Amino acid sequence: MPALPTARLSLAPPSNGRRRNLISLTPLIDVVFILLVFFMLASSFLNWRSITLDSPKQTGRSASLEQALLIEVRANGLRLAGETMSLDRIAGRAVAALAKKPDRPVLVRPDDGVAVQEVVQVVDALAAAGVANLSLIRRNK
Amino acid sequence: MRSLRPGPGRGANDDDRILPLINVVFLLLIFFMLAGHLAATDPFHIEPPVSASETEPGAAGPVILVGADGRIAFDGKPVDDAGLRAALVAPVEAGVTHFQLKADGGAPAVRLVEVMELLRAAGVRKVHVLTVPKAL
Repeated sequence: MPALPTARLSLAPPSNGRRRNLISLTPLIDVVFILLVFFMLASSFLNWRSITLDSPKQTGRSASLEQALLIEVRANGLRLAGETMSLDRIAGRAVAALAKKPDRPVLVRPDDGVAVQEVVQVVDALAAAGVANLSLIRRNK
Repeated sequence: MRSLRPGPGRGANDDDRILPLINVVFLLLIFFMLAGHLAATDPFHIEPPVSASETEPGAAGPVILVGADGRIAFDGKPVDDAGLRAALVAPVEAGVTHFQLKADGGAPAVRLVEVMELLRAAGVRKVHVLTVPKAL
């Protein structure tokens, strides 16, 4: 078996006195850069929040619908009890109605063509006003 | 004061000059490792709705995605309505009650309600709609 060249693999400091060069740093930097790029691309910084809603009752049960407070979200505005009004007024009305009858469910019914963002705004305003029993329903098909 | 220019003797060693760079890169690496959190990428892009809600999402649970065009996915796998109904059976029977709904802000709200009705039919009483706070 031929003698292996051991001089380069030796752990002893090389004879020229440059002790620092035992391990080259360049491959290390390569790996660290790759890790850095991976974490930059793979990690997400979205700060999630959540809104808790009751899941909707099956449509068609009119008994619960009748005593509920129905807020319609239409493409051209918000309606409560057939009247178009602003979000602040609706929140105020809802709070007043719930003060009389606290267990009254509040239903938000989005129309076709209404985006989730608009509904979230309505739900936000109602939640900020203190409405707890919120759920979404849709129009009977 | 020390000169920033390397002395005539030090320039010979490349590693000495590259060390500050590695320090900075290491710091960046640690920052991204700690500050971000790794999550599986969604099968389609979701632009979550903005809300003033301050409630943290809480315990991790199955996530149902609703895309801007009404597509749905359950735990990262695209499904149709029947597929979602089938996929919900196992977790509901296992007693999972914390379902998260990640809907696109531009998705039709009627579609979101349809998905919620599916959840209701499967026996889920509360759903948590994921949102993001308003950007500062």
